[in-house]
Amino acid sequence: MGQAWLISGSPGCGKTHWILNTFKNHKGSCAYIRLNGHSDIDLEQVKFSKIDSAFLKDHLPHLIDVSNSNKSSISIRENTLLLIELPQFKLPSQNGVSGIDPRVLHELEILKLQPNRYLHFGRDIELPTKDTLDFKKIESSNLNLQGCVWDPPSLNTFWFELVNGAYGDVYRAKALMNLPDGRCMFFNWIVSQQGSQYLPLNGVAPLTGRPERHSEIVIQGKNLDFALIQSTINHCLLDDSVLAYHQASLKSSELQPIG
Amino acid sequence: MNQAVISCLHANLPALEAVLNDIEYLGIQNITCLGDLVGYGPQPNEVVELIREKGIQTCQGCWDEDIIDGLDACDCSYPSQLAEKRGHFAHQWTTDKLTNENKEFLASLPTSIRKDKCLFVHGSPNSQHEYLLPDMDAFAALERVEMSGAETLFCGHTHQPYIRELTNGSISFRIQNASSKGIQEQQGMDLPMRRIVNAGSVGEPRHGGIKATYVVYNDNTCEVEIREVSYDIERTCKSIIESGLPPIFAWRLINGFEFAEQAEDASHVCER
Amino acid sequence: MIERWALVSGLKGDLETYELIQRDLRKIPGDKTLFVLGDMIGPDRNCNRLLNRLINPISSDLKPQCIYGWWEEQLLAESGYRGNQKAEALRINGGEQVVNSLLSAVDKAYLSWLASLEFGFVELDCGLIHGSSRDVGDELSMTTPPLTFLDRLTRLNVNRLFTARSTHQFYWELTEAIVESDVMDLSGNRKQQQKIPKKIVIGIGAGKNYTLYDVGSDNTQFLQAGYQSKKGVKGFA
Repeated sequence: MGQAWLISGSPGCGKTHWILNTFKNHKGSCAYIRLNGHSDIDLEQVKFSKIDSAFLKDHLPHLIDVSNSNKSSISIRENTLLLIELPQFKLPSQNGVSGIDPRVLHELEILKLQPNRYLHFGRDIELPTKDTLDFKKIESSNLNLQGCVWDPPSLNTFWFELVNGAYGDVYRAKALMNLPDGRCMFFNWIVSQQGSQYLPLNGVAPLTGRPERHSEIVIQGKNLDFALIQSTINHCLLDDSVLAYHQASLKSSELQPIG
Repeated sequence: MNQAVISCLHANLPALEAVLNDIEYLGIQNITCLGDLVGYGPQPNEVVELIREKGIQTCQGCWDEDIIDGLDACDCSYPSQLAEKRGHFAHQWTTDKLTNENKEFLASLPTSIRKDKCLFVHGSPNSQHEYLLPDMDAFAALERVEMSGAETLFCGHTHQPYIRELTNGSISFRIQNASSKGIQEQQGMDLPMRRIVNAGSVGEPRHGGIKATYVVYNDNTCEVEIREVSYDIERTCKSIIESGLPPIFAWRLINGFEFAEQAEDASHVCER
Repeated sequence: MIERWALVSGLKGDLETYELIQRDLRKIPGDKTLFVLGDMIGPDRNCNRLLNRLINPISSDLKPQCIYGWWEEQLLAESGYRGNQKAEALRINGGEQVVNSLLSAVDKAYLSWLASLEFGFVELDCGLIHGSSRDVGDELSMTTPPLTFLDRLTRLNVNRLFTARSTHQFYWELTEAIVESDVMDLSGNRKQQQKIPKKIVIGIGAGKNYTLYDVGSDNTQFLQAGYQSKKGVKGFA
């Protein structure tokens, strides 16, 4: 039997990055599942986001994504480290596994998962606390951007406006976004940090048609104008003809035409 | 004698009023405007009418040209698709608001004004759409002034006020044609001292702050001063929102950004 | 391996000259690339045979890489490929009759190919263009002011500019340029000295006059079609 740890914390505290580093240091095989978490009064959770698993899978191609497994057959082999990511605002009431929220316990039972360790950002000192914030009120939304490709300078402007408060007070924003050159960028921002993190994923999409991999944006904050965010995003996305034009110019190699 | 040069008013009436008050306070009567009276801002008619009422000599900016020519003047200067969509919205809004009389006034504006050894243009002598940024290639900058036959070139369009002096220049070269059979003629020339003065922007500043900017030029001493003027920016922002323009314009303005992003390409020239 | 570029322009429908140039090029050893820098068409003769040959080279031809020139621009504008623009420059210079001659010199079937051509190429640190990056009709010649040459090189961000519009063959080499710049803005003053080392502008000629450029040695040769093997070449080191 391997290890199964439950890792929880508030938005932006660094759960996914801690999980990535832990997996990198683990000698055996690695397995991952992300639970949705539960909203509390004034504290809304993001529903069904796949950004974290797509990000981890890109860095760790052999990662076993337990969310895709047949639920009745989840079994943790020896030397396997299973990390269960859980977004959770509130501090657990008790230490160790006995502090697991009963609603989460119920979910874990359905999945036939029994964590033998539970760590929460802000409670357990072995986890970093730099970006662990105590949120009083938070609205959350995620937009599926599967197949969407951004005009790169428009993406820069939109992200700049988003994290600087043009669409409401954003505390946390993260996204996987496709660029016309086939790259997918991971954008990551938390109010406690000075700037955004921009990481290209390792996987590059072919220069034909629309990319099929996961693409999504998650925004959490206060007084957010989601309709305005959506309409601004629509203005930033490439239509078929413009995308085809970009892809054709990237494909033409030897000569670099002007204008 | 002192003269004032203003540019890029962008339908921002409170900013224009504040700048004209500052000019009056300095006792300056000679004012030249480098265009872009309209675009993005909420009071295009009021701004055009104030310029007309004061009899301020004005050359045509890229927005003034686009309002007349129906937006086909230069789409490719937008730095992003988002900026283009916002620009098109603002263009349509402005076209709908402007009276025919004010449109005719904008259409009648010259692309340049020459006064002695000074040339006044919106973007560059080549085009209302070309940006002369403060740190663009020094030889290209010198070429713009020298080829226009001026000693001092006044421009706007970048919304960043600056004064640039180009001095102690020289070029050495050799030249040969097909019939000169291998003889290459070596030549050299000293380049004249030339100056570019960018008046910044009254209605849409881009210098990190939110104050309106313009310049004062003394034609006896050739000294230039960049003036910064505070204005009632909240009045402008309220007016943007009430007029149905995108609220993002107000957010960008009050935070010291432009209404929409600006192209950074100093050498951009529309090829259409 | 020696790599040479043959640079041709201003054929204006003259298939015989093009064949002479192709024959010259067959005799030159090494890797060769043929660039046709515009003005494949003109009003004075039917251009369809030349266009057909450029699009469908025969087996012994060096395959041409073509861009559009001033005459193509006029035809495309007049044929509705440039929005509302028409061939005004041609109309002013040559009148309505020349516009009509141009329209009848090129079969409409070739218009889409002409419209697909690029404005210019950037190869290595060289710009290959009909006029200049400022305008397809920009005539750069021996008498062009040095600052204008520098501007056109800067716009393309290249060290060598091959141009054809003036129809002249010339070689202009900047040995050094220097200027001091003092910028004052709201953040203060900054002084800089800008120096530009060697840069070159080459007029490639037109029609029978064409240019051979040796990429490795940076050597330029001005040639005339059909004379290459008989008289040797005029060249610059």
